[in-house]
Amino acid sequence: MTGSLLLSVPVLLVGAALSLGLRSNGARSAAAIASQAIAAALVLARVAPLLRGGEALEIVWPWPTPIDSMAFRVDALGAFFLAWSLPMTLLGTIYAVGYLRPYFDRGRNGGSHFALLNMVALSFVLIYSVQNALVFLLGWEIAALAAWLLVIWDYRNQKIRFAGFNYLISTHVGLFVLVAAFMLLHSKTDSMDFAVFGKFLSSQDPTRGTLFLLLGASFALKSAFFPFHTWLPRAHSAAPAHISALMSGVIHKAGLFAFLRFTLLMGRPDEWMGWSVLGFGALSAFFGVLSTSAERDLKRLLGYSSTENVGIAAMGFGVGYLGWAWGVPALTVCGFGGGLLHVLNHALFKCLLFYAAGAIYRAAHTVDLERLGGLARRLPRTSILFLIGSLAISALPPLNGFVSEFLIYAGLLAGRAPSSQGSVVTIAAAAALAFVGAVSALSMTRAFGLTFLGVPREPGLHVGEDAPGSMLWPMVIHAALVVAIGVAPDLGIAAIGAALRLFPIESSASTLPALLAPLAWASRALAGALLVAGVIGWRRGRAARRSVTWGCGTTATSSRMQYTGSSFSEQFTRFFASFLPSLRRERLPEGPFPQQPGHLSTHHVDAVERRMFEVLGHGENFIAQAFDRIPEQPRFAFAAGLVALVIIGAMVVGGVGR
Amino acid sequence: MMLTRLANVAVLVVMPFVLTGVINRVKSLWSGRKGPPVLQLVHDVRRLFRKSSVYSTTTTPLFRVAPYVFLATAVGSALIAPLLGSTPLASFQLDFVWFAYVWGLGRVAIMLAALDTGSSFEGMGAAREAVFSSLLEPALFLVTGALSLVGGRRTLHEALAPHLHAGAPALVWGAAVVAMLIVLQVEAARMPVDDPTTHLELTMVHEVMILDHSGPDLACIHLGSAIKLFVGASIVATLLNPWAGSGGAACAAANLALTLAAGVVIGTIESLVARLKLRSVPQYIVIALAAGSVALLATVWRAGGPE
Repeated sequence: MTGSLLLSVPVLLVGAALSLGLRSNGARSAAAIASQAIAAALVLARVAPLLRGGEALEIVWPWPTPIDSMAFRVDALGAFFLAWSLPMTLLGTIYAVGYLRPYFDRGRNGGSHFALLNMVALSFVLIYSVQNALVFLLGWEIAALAAWLLVIWDYRNQKIRFAGFNYLISTHVGLFVLVAAFMLLHSKTDSMDFAVFGKFLSSQDPTRGTLFLLLGASFALKSAFFPFHTWLPRAHSAAPAHISALMSGVIHKAGLFAFLRFTLLMGRPDEWMGWSVLGFGALSAFFGVLSTSAERDLKRLLGYSSTENVGIAAMGFGVGYLGWAWGVPALTVCGFGGGLLHVLNHALFKCLLFYAAGAIYRAAHTVDLERLGGLARRLPRTSILFLIGSLAISALPPLNGFVSEFLIYAGLLAGRAPSSQGSVVTIAAAAALAFVGAVSALSMTRAFGLTFLGVPREPGLHVGEDAPGSMLWPMVIHAALVVAIGVAPDLGIAAIGAALRLFPIESSASTLPALLAPLAWASRALAGALLVAGVIGWRRGRAARRSVTWGCGTTATSSRMQYTGSSFSEQFTRFFASFLPSLRRERLPEGPFPQQPGHLSTHHVDAVERRMFEVLGHGENFIAQAFDRIPEQPRFAFAAGLVALVIIGAMVVGGVGR
Repeated sequence: MMLTRLANVAVLVVMPFVLTGVINRVKSLWSGRKGPPVLQLVHDVRRLFRKSSVYSTTTTPLFRVAPYVFLATAVGSALIAPLLGSTPLASFQLDFVWFAYVWGLGRVAIMLAALDTGSSFEGMGAAREAVFSSLLEPALFLVTGALSLVGGRRTLHEALAPHLHAGAPALVWGAAVVAMLIVLQVEAARMPVDDPTTHLELTMVHEVMILDHSGPDLACIHLGSAIKLFVGASIVATLLNPWAGSGGAACAAANLALTLAAGVVIGTIESLVARLKLRSVPQYIVIALAAGSVALLATVWRAGGPE
C-alpha cells in the first residue's frame, strides 16, 4: 500500500545521485526535475484518495536495531501536507534553473544544489508519513541540513555564511528541545512509536503540560514564531530566492504539521493550552507585521511576514483548541479549518512573492526598497504577479488570504465562549487580527508601490530583463491558485476537508460550506465588478492625454524627492517606536545658513535580537565578574556542580508522576 | 421585499449627493454664506464625466484602473450597509468582516495610484492614510464584535439594530456611537482629522492622494467618497434609530432623518472645530479604539452584573 508512496524515496535518491554525477548543469537540473516530477506524481496518486476521505495508508517495516519496527502511516493530515509540498518543491526547482543561470554561465556547478532540493522533497515524504520518533528526527534533520546548505549557495560571502550558521544554530536549539521531549516520552512509554506516545499524551499525566510546552517551543522555533524568529529574516535575505520561498512557504510548515500531529495525538486539550496558542499566535502576528512595516530589504520584509502569517495560522489553531476544550465543535471547525487553509494559502502567496523578489534581484541586483522604483515598466509581468501576491497576503478580497482569515474571524467573533470574559478576549483577538491585516496592507502597499511604481529612485541603477519562462511559469501557477481559492473557496475546503475531519467536529461538519457559500458568491460578484471596473478604466484611459506629474508649482523635481520607504513608514514607526528600535546616523544642518551638507540615515533592527544581545552583553559581564571572585581551583568544581544540577533537574522533571 | 430593495437602491442613488450637499450647506450657513445648491455634486460629477483625463507620463495602467476599483468597492460596501435601518440589499454571516476588508481594498487601490505618480506629496498622503487606517480597523472590529456579542447576531444590520430591544446598557451603545462617528470622520476625510477643502498640501490626507486624477477618474473618486460618507452616516443612524430592524416605513423615515442629522452634526463640527495637528490624529483615532474597548467591556459588565 504505502510501498508505492515510499517508492518516491529511491526515485528522489537516484535523482540526487544523478544530479551529482552528470556532466552539465542542464542534465543535472533535468535529472532533479524529472525525479521530483515522478516522485510528486507517485505521492499524489497515493494521497489523492485520502483527500477525498479515503482510508489512511499504513505499513510497518521490521527494523531489528535499534528499534523493533518502523511504522509508516499517512492519514488525511499528512496527505494534505504531502499533496502540495512536493509539487511546490518541484516548482521551486524549475524556478532555480532560471534563477541560477547567471551563476551557471560563470561555470558554477549546480549539482549539489539540485541534489539538496531532492533531499528536501525526500524529507517531506519522511516527516509527513512516519510514525516513529527516531525516523521523524532523521527526516527533520535532513530538512534542516539541506536547508542550511541551500541557504549558503553564495558561501564566499561572509555575511551569507553567518546567516546560514545562525539558521543552523537556531534549528538545532529547536532540535535539542524536541529530542528532550522525545526522550521524556520514551522514558515514560519505552517506545518510539507515535501511537504509543499518543496513548500516554491523552492520559491525564502531570507531565502532559511540560511536554506540550517542550513540543510547542520546538515547533515554534521551526516555524519561526516570535520571539524565536530572529534567524529567519537573516536566512531569507541571504538565500537564493527559491530557497527563501521554499523555506518560508513549504519547509517551515513542517513545524506546524508536527504541532497538529501531536495535537491529534494528545486528544482533548486543556483550556490553558488553547489560550496560550491563541496568545502566542497573536503575539507573533503582531510583532511580525510591525517589523514588516519598517523593513527596507524586500526579502527580509517577506521573512518577517512569515512570522506574521504563522502567527495568524496559530490564532486559528488556538480557536480550534479552545473549541475542542470547551466542546464547541463549530469553533473547532472554524479554528482548525481557517488555520489549515491559511497554511496552504501562505505557502501559495509567499512562494509567489519570494519568486517575484528573486526576479527583481536578478534584474536589478538589489532588493533594497530605498534604491528601487518604477520597475513596473521594466518588469511588467513580474509586477502584476507581485501585485496579486501582495493583495492576497494583505488578506484583501477576492483573493485566497481573505478566505482563511474570514474563517478565523468567524471563530473569534462567534461569542461561543462559556464565560463572557472569554468572549471579550476572543473579540479583542479579532481586533488584533484586524490591526495585523491593516498593517499588512500598509507594508505590502509600501513594498509594491516603492518597488514598482513611480520613477526609479536611483537613476544609475541598471535594470535588466524581465524573468525568463522558467522563473515566470512557477509564479503564474501560484498566482492562478491564489485567485482560484479566492473566488472559489470550495476548492480550499476540498483541500482541507479530509484533514479537518480528523478533529472532533462530527455534529457540525457542514459549518464551513454554510459559512463560505455566501462568501463565495460575494467574492465572485466582487471579482466580476473589479474586472468590469478595471476594463472600463483601462479602455477610457487609453485615449487620454499625457503630461507630467503635477508638482504643486515646483518644476525642478528630481526622482530623489519621491517618498522613500523610510518616509512612508516614518509616522507609523514613530507611533510604535518602543517595538521597533531604529539606528539613526545623522548630521543635521546647523544654523540658518548651513555650511556643511547634512545627512540622515535610519535603519531598523530586529527588536528581539537587539535586546538579546544587550542582555547577553550584560550577562557576560556579570558572569565574568562572578567567576573572577572564585579562585582558580574550585572553578572546575563549580562548573561540574552546575552540570550536576542540570542533570538532577532533568531527572526530577522526568521522574514526576512515575 | 421587492419594495424594500427598490427603496434601498433609490436611496443609494440619491442620498450620497444629498448628504454631501447638506454638509456643505451647513458649513456655508455657519460661515455666513448662502452656499452651493444641495445637489451641487450632481453637476460636478456630470461635468467631470464629460471631460477627458490627463495622465502623468510616469503612471502605469494601474493608475487608470484604481478610481473605478475604488468606486466599485464603495458600491459593494453600500450593498451590505443598512441604509434604511433594516434589511440591506445583501447580507450574510459575518458580512461586517467583508465590509471592512472591501473598504480596505478601495483604500489600497487609491494609495497605489497615489504612489504611481511618483509625486512626494501623494506618497505622503498615502502614508498618512495607511497609518490612520491601521489604527481604525481594530476599532471597527471592537465595536461590531461588541454589538454582535450583545445581540448574538452576526450580520452587520442585525448587530447594529437589536441592541435597544436586547436591553443593553446605554454605555455599550454610547461608546459604539462615539467610535463609529470617529471611524466615519477618518474614512470620509472630515474635520477634525482631515480638511477636505484645504489648499495647503502639507496638511492634506485624502485630497493630496488625488491631485493627479482628472476628468471621469476624479468623478469616480468623488462619487465613491460620497457613497462611503453616506454608508458611514447611515450606520451611525441605525445605531441611534429606535425602530431599527423593524423594517417599517417609520424605521426608514427615522433612519433617513437621522442620516441627514448626522450630516448636520458633521457640518457643524467642521465649522466649529479646527483640524488637529497631524501628530495628534493617531491619538484622536485611539479614542475610537478606547471607545470600542469600553463598548466591549460594558457587554461583560452587563453579563456579569446583577440582572
